[in-house]
Amino acid sequence: MTERIRLLLVDDEEAFRTTLASRLRRRAFDVLDVESGYRALEAVKRTAFDVAIIDVKMPGMDGLETLREMKSISALIEVIMLTGHASVESGIEGMRLGAFDYVMKPCDIDALVVKIGDAYQRKLAREVSGE
Amino acid sequence: MSYIKTYLKRRAEGRLRKEEQERNALRMAFTRRYLSFKTLLGLNDEVLKIISNMEEAIEGSVSFDMAFIRTKCTALSVDVYKIIQSLNDITDQRNQTLFSVFDEISRRIDQELTRKREAQQGSWILPLEAIDRNMTDQAGNKMASLAETRNRLGLAVPEGFVISSAAYEFFMAEGKLQDEVNRQLQQLEVGNIAQLHEVSADLQKLIVEAPLPAELERTIISAYQDLIRNVGEGACICLRSSALGEDSRGASFAGQYRSILNVSPESLLLGYKEVVASKYSVPAITYRLRMGFLDEDIAMCVGCMRLIQAEAAGVVYSADPGASFPGGVVINSAFGLGKAVVDGTFSSDLYVVSRKDPGQLLEKDIRSKTTRIACHSREGVVVEHVDEAKREAPSLSDEQARRLAKIAMRLEEHFGGAQDVEWALDNEGTFWIVQTRPLALPARSGSRQDLPSRLIDNTTLIEKGITASPGVAYGPAFRVETAVDMLQFPTGAVLLARYPLPQWAALLDKAVAVVTDEGTLTGHLAAVAREFKIPALMGTRVASSTIGTGTLVTVDADLQKVYAGKVEAILARSSESASPIKNSPVYHTLENVLRYIAPLHLTDPDGPDFTPQDCQTLHDIIRYAHEISLRELFDEYQETPFSHKMARKLVSNVPMEWWVLDLGGGIREKADGDTVRVEDIISPPFCALWEGLTAFPWKGPPPIDAGGFLSIVIESTMDPNLELGRESAMGGQNYVIVSQDFFHLSTKLGFHYSTVEAFLGERVTENYVWFYFKGGAADRQRKERRNDLIETVLRRFHFWVQTKGDTLSARLERQENEYMTKGLKVLGYLILHTRQLDMVLSDPARVTWYAEEMLGEVSTFVEVPD
Repeated sequence: MTERIRLLLVDDEEAFRTTLASRLRRRAFDVLDVESGYRALEAVKRTAFDVAIIDVKMPGMDGLETLREMKSISALIEVIMLTGHASVESGIEGMRLGAFDYVMKPCDIDALVVKIGDAYQRKLAREVSGE
Repeated sequence: MSYIKTYLKRRAEGRLRKEEQERNALRMAFTRRYLSFKTLLGLNDEVLKIISNMEEAIEGSVSFDMAFIRTKCTALSVDVYKIIQSLNDITDQRNQTLFSVFDEISRRIDQELTRKREAQQGSWILPLEAIDRNMTDQAGNKMASLAETRNRLGLAVPEGFVISSAAYEFFMAEGKLQDEVNRQLQQLEVGNIAQLHEVSADLQKLIVEAPLPAELERTIISAYQDLIRNVGEGACICLRSSALGEDSRGASFAGQYRSILNVSPESLLLGYKEVVASKYSVPAITYRLRMGFLDEDIAMCVGCMRLIQAEAAGVVYSADPGASFPGGVVINSAFGLGKAVVDGTFSSDLYVVSRKDPGQLLEKDIRSKTTRIACHSREGVVVEHVDEAKREAPSLSDEQARRLAKIAMRLEEHFGGAQDVEWALDNEGTFWIVQTRPLALPARSGSRQDLPSRLIDNTTLIEKGITASPGVAYGPAFRVETAVDMLQFPTGAVLLARYPLPQWAALLDKAVAVVTDEGTLTGHLAAVAREFKIPALMGTRVASSTIGTGTLVTVDADLQKVYAGKVEAILARSSESASPIKNSPVYHTLENVLRYIAPLHLTDPDGPDFTPQDCQTLHDIIRYAHEISLRELFDEYQETPFSHKMARKLVSNVPMEWWVLDLGGGIREKADGDTVRVEDIISPPFCALWEGLTAFPWKGPPPIDAGGFLSIVIESTMDPNLELGRESAMGGQNYVIVSQDFFHLSTKLGFHYSTVEAFLGERVTENYVWFYFKGGAADRQRKERRNDLIETVLRRFHFWVQTKGDTLSARLERQENEYMTKGLKVLGYLILHTRQLDMVLSDPARVTWYAEEMLGEVSTFVEVPD
């Protein structure tokens, strides 16, 4: 049996988050969806994930902060940032903090699935090389 | 579990032999390299596409707004960052300087996009006498222009002062109001009118209910009292918005913000807050979003001025922005306060005076003026009835109209452009200027001729009106009367209304045209329609009562007609593009930003200035990265990545020398010794390639024409290292690395360098086949044709292909193993059979012929897709 890619979806907007989570589950991903950066960090401490999808604008701990903290807990996890508002500054900051990609909403789900696949491949490659 | 996961598990358990670890590290090194190159070569195309998109937009062939610019710039920055990252991955971090070059460029781009204003220092109160046009930062454009009109031109302007942007910033910062505003605005969804109304109401309430800081209160009251002392107790006072950016070039913000007429002393402070809050009215937010202004850029200054008790008042345009009155100054006038005309709702008189001296009266249309607006005795304004006797009387005499036109022309001359002026006439015959701002004249290429009526067999529904905004459009009519109608207004509809109320401006994002019964071209809605380049026909008298919601109509605002159904002839003739007016803030932003993105300076890869430091734009950076990555890819001096002690020699019937290295599960267990037969290689992807390679026997070099042979001779004399037929020129050898789901094959056949790499695993998303190829012995044109030939065949099998000069890179990924296997067979065939084929590709017709031949042969061992 092939293992499924383990996704962590982080977004405070409930409707968007739960819809995306169920669509991704239908594409054979293992998805845990949480509504805040805090919950996301808790989850990462307990379980191993392959790829995290994080919304940039969240109240409390925003996406970039969550990314920073998450990378310090689990360096291997690959992160895709999602945002409803284009921002050059925030995009580059995300990349500098180690995000795999920075994607604008609304995001075509097929394109997102491809990116998740790419992110997972990079994770595997880094894992095997002993990073 | 997959191969990788098994490996990782065993590694974690400490059960791996050192050799096994080394082999897997090597295997993953290949995959990492593939991923980096894939990013580099793939993103290069994407980035070029985005840049081309942006250039199309600036040329006017694609419409755009600020959101478009920001989205493209963000995508570009992220992609270029990834390209630089990948470049460093494959060059062992030797291109780090590219990051700092990139940082500098993206910082400048970001600056253009956000343009943060400096915090204002300075006085909270500015008397009109003390302001000039260079103080727009502190007083706002509207008040600064009025001050100019008074101080420089000596025209009559009501007395007053301005509550400055410094005061506004102080107010917004004190209660953390700006933070809350930002938070709410960020959540706005495009096109969600209901949410827009909610957010607008919340924000306005927030501001109006916030307490003014005590010092600010005192300062405002004190200035007000000074003003009253100056103008007398009986005077009426009004508050007028004067926002930064308002009335600047290309953006009039017509009617978006509030004015409060006849404010009482008790309501002064509340009035100030209401004007400030009007920044968040629905029309204002929509307008700013559409025109590309950021909220922080718009400080709301408020003017406090004497309100002229007008006998007559209205608006004058120093030129006609529509098509109705060429060469004329357009005056709309009514009895009482000018609000009636400014809003554009009530009937008003129309005068058109020639722009040329001595200003002949060209047209006069006196309407029945049943109402007038006047100051209430306590506060605010009221609508009064006009005596029956006076209704038909002209609000201005001919002489007065001419005098007013002359004033308008003076203002146009002083401010260097057509002006939109609000004026008031007092009972002593003096004209007071209450507001003056630039009037945008839409660019139009000549006037349109009326089409012969025989070409139009649609019913004419409307035959006359005023061109408030030029253009033509087609769509379903939708009558708007109440706020509920607004919520239901569909995108792409023609807005139909009795009066051109300013609040309909929020719908102009969705409407394709506007048709009203009443209204003038000098009203607010008309001005906004012009700015949004939406055709508007006003003053039709009967449109809203004769055209029903849902009726499909063609609106020809230029010729003042509305037809039933679609009139193709008219719509086709119109060459109006949907892009913003050339001088709008949005256009300038795109222009400025493209300077750091599109121009290419690094044109010569072999020149001395092909370095990271010479990169001035994002285009330069990706050009540099692409070139370096291709060099890395085809580095002929690369040594084999393993010691020959580990490898074995391949025995086969194909005339070349190959080394084989097994990383695990690629070779049959029983095979032993120094050599390996090709039959013992069991790596499935490799076997597929081999099958294709050997499907047809190699017949030796095909017969060449004289030209082909000559071009080889010339090439070899130019480069002493090239020798015809030498199998292992330039060092390096042919080798293949295999495992149970992977192989990497590198070969030099004659002058061709090919590499094929493939991974076929248990997960479709990880599958890939990668092929890159360089060289050839013939001249450049033939080499390029050879690449065309290969590309033609590979594309039939859905490979992604990129060629550059004599290099070619192709990949196939994410397909089921069966499909990937088919691709591998085709590749194997191509590798062998395109050897030296370039010599005979003397013209493009040969390419087509050979492609057909090859597809024919290929079809005998795989199925060719349509």
